Amino acid sequence: MRRIIALFAAAALFGAAACNSSNGTPSTPGQPDNVNVGVIAIVDVAPIYLGKQQGFFSKRNINLTLTTAQGGAAIVPAVVSGQYQFGFSNTVSLLLAAQNGLPLKVVCNGNNSTGMADADFAGLFVKADSPIKSPKELVGKTVAANTLKNIVEISVRDSVKKDGGDAAGVKFAELPFPDQLPALQAGRVDAIFVVEPFQAAAIAAGARKIASSYVDAAPNLTVAMYFTSNQLRTSNPGLVTRFTEAMKESLAYADTHPDEVRTVLGTYTQITAEVRAKLTLPKWPAEIDKASVQALAEHAQSYGLLTKQPDIAALLP
Amino acid sequence: MSVRRAATAVALPIVLLTAWWFISAGSTDYQWPPLSKIVAAFVATWTPDRLRSEVVPSLERLAAGYALAVVLGIGLGVLIGSSPWLRAFCEPVLEFMRAIPPPVLVPIIMLVAGIGDAMKVVVIASGCIWPVLLNTVEGVRGRDEVLSDTCRVYGVRGGLRLRHLILRAASPQILTGARQALSIAIILMVISELFAAQNGLGFTVMQFSRGFQIPEMWSGVFLLGFIGVALAGAYQLAERWLLRWYHGQRSTGTGPRES
Amino acid sequence: MGGHRPGVLGLIGLASFAVALEIAPRAGLVPSEYAPPTSRIAVALGRLVQQNEFWIALRDTIITWGIGLGIAVAAGVLAGVVLGAVPLLWELASTTVEFLRPIPSVALIPLVIVLFGSTIESSVVLVVYAAFWQVLLQVLHGVADVDPVARDTARAYQLGRWARIRYLVWPTALPYVVTGVRLAASVALILAITGELVVGSPGLGKQIEVARQSGAVANVYALVVVTGILGVLANVAMRAIERRALAWHTAVRRDVAGSAVKEERAEVLA
Repeated sequence: MRRIIALFAAAALFGAAACNSSNGTPSTPGQPDNVNVGVIAIVDVAPIYLGKQQGFFSKRNINLTLTTAQGGAAIVPAVVSGQYQFGFSNTVSLLLAAQNGLPLKVVCNGNNSTGMADADFAGLFVKADSPIKSPKELVGKTVAANTLKNIVEISVRDSVKKDGGDAAGVKFAELPFPDQLPALQAGRVDAIFVVEPFQAAAIAAGARKIASSYVDAAPNLTVAMYFTSNQLRTSNPGLVTRFTEAMKESLAYADTHPDEVRTVLGTYTQITAEVRAKLTLPKWPAEIDKASVQALAEHAQSYGLLTKQPDIAALLP
Repeated sequence: MSVRRAATAVALPIVLLTAWWFISAGSTDYQWPPLSKIVAAFVATWTPDRLRSEVVPSLERLAAGYALAVVLGIGLGVLIGSSPWLRAFCEPVLEFMRAIPPPVLVPIIMLVAGIGDAMKVVVIASGCIWPVLLNTVEGVRGRDEVLSDTCRVYGVRGGLRLRHLILRAASPQILTGARQALSIAIILMVISELFAAQNGLGFTVMQFSRGFQIPEMWSGVFLLGFIGVALAGAYQLAERWLLRWYHGQRSTGTGPRES
Repeated sequence: MGGHRPGVLGLIGLASFAVALEIAPRAGLVPSEYAPPTSRIAVALGRLVQQNEFWIALRDTIITWGIGLGIAVAAGVLAGVVLGAVPLLWELASTTVEFLRPIPSVALIPLVIVLFGSTIESSVVLVVYAAFWQVLLQVLHGVADVDPVARDTARAYQLGRWARIRYLVWPTALPYVVTGVRLAASVALILAITGELVVGSPGLGKQIEVARQSGAVANVYALVVVTGILGVLANVAMRAIERRALAWHTAVRRDVAGSAVKEERAEVLA
């Protein structure tokens, strides 16, 4: 008996020595996995912060570290190279990555539009005294988008098309969200498309909402998702499964506990308490709305953002 | 240019590029495409049309911002360098402004200068004025006391003094500053096109990076390098012409200065 | 330079600047919601310094800056002296240097993210890449600027290469090196913060980006003020070092060059 225990102990020690404990590589039984997730410090990722706080990850043996990065352009390469085990990125960036053959796969949902036209967490705004009354009047005008050739462009063009205008006739200027409202008020752009908390700021400044473009793009639009590299999927499928389950639990929890979401927002952003109380929160369904991803891909191709349809079935779980 | 000089000039780059070509040849890593793919992307992407629509506007803004920075930098530098109390008054504020990173200043500049070409020119100028200004101040400050005394003895004043004493004495330093300002200008040209841009070389490279078109992105980086080399060469010609008196003096005995 | 006078004047300069920035938003010269007056920034700054994460971010930025600058200066001086002292090496390396130098560090960002992610190492690499060229250029200028008469004198006395570097090249190059280090220090700080802003490495730059994305305008400016103050402090430190290192500069140059140069220069004017 003692010899068996000794053998077991020796094997465990040898296993621990052989596997280095750096991020995400398979660890010895009993040791939680160190997982580094690349996120952006915005409202959309509140569920993962909330889930970490509630212990959904630690109870599944995941030692979660959340690292904020500037955007999908920074997160995607870091996930592919293994710096992060998982990442958060918007749907169109992921479609682009898939089109270019990057070795990624989506593991679970990130956040969705609320699906309600007057109560979405993002909106298309014009100045209070602007002559533009509806999206089709944006043809020939300039709209500010935080990233060109991405989800904002597709959604705004969809709004214009839905309203009966020529979707291709809208011009876009790339401007980071914080700079869009000042540019609108100074008349440098004709319309802006912003998400919370900038939507709250736009409303407070008197801007007029003319469309909820995320709703126009698709019902229950899947705006962003969490993804991982193919390399991690093959080397540690168990970790991927546990992370996915923890995320689904976090998403469901966030969707049903909006007050706790508003509180946790204060821990990783600098959004003030008054603004946090007023924001419209996105929806956090546990499952991806695959139809909306398909719709986005088709619209992206029709507007020339994608050259061909990526294999969506292979990209999504 | 002699054959030997031409040979040594290209030897190292050829060795490095050949090594890169062979090492990366079989790469499937999307971040490190084979050099052959990058070359192909370069040829396919940078057509004369594209060069005209993307690179020319960038260069125009670069030239405008650089010129603005040089003129303002020399002007302010002479003023500040000539007066010890003005220098003491301005120095902390200038150092404060200089330490602010350009990406942070861009939104502030956007408030005043809008989101068009004017804003980009101001952004470029706001960053590359510093080496010119600083070096001009140093150059004016460190002028040869013998020359300065001689001027005073001979009663040389005003514009003549400015040209022959101050600017002449400071010109090596000023030109060093202008040289550095050029490299900074290229960096700022790229940074200014990350915000509110609709065309430009930096803008195009960033869009490639965002769209995960990595070989095209690398080709853009190469192009940036080529442009930098071309500008550096143009600069050297200008410097040689402007400083011919300095070179002449220095060349007594040992031949022209190697630059 | 008079003892305390520059210091006081400098403070007056800063104060006038602060007053101007208080008046401009209030007078409507700039929109005050996006460019708050100094008083509002001061309040935000006061709140900020009470938060632990601010001090941690400050420490991270200083570490990135210090390590990056140190590596860049050491490498720059070494490369500059070697390339300057051995003409063949410079002939070989010059085109490569002239090609690599203008590539903006921002172009390295995707590369650095792949290699190091959003860690301190990423920003350090960006800092080293940008600051190195500043130092190298200045050192090369310094080495090339050695007075020809002095160089001939050294050759006549058959001073070996090492002796020549020590007694001839180094004193001539030193003022250039010091200017180079000073310029590199400011470039290093700017790149450290830009790296943190864009790549997401821990530090003040990252805090600025978080504040921007949260719409916390006053906090952004407060953090910007902190970076400015850091730059001013760095400059004060560099000037003190410069003063000590160059106390003997003019005197040494005069000795090295000899009276022959004085006569030459007087001739140019007359």
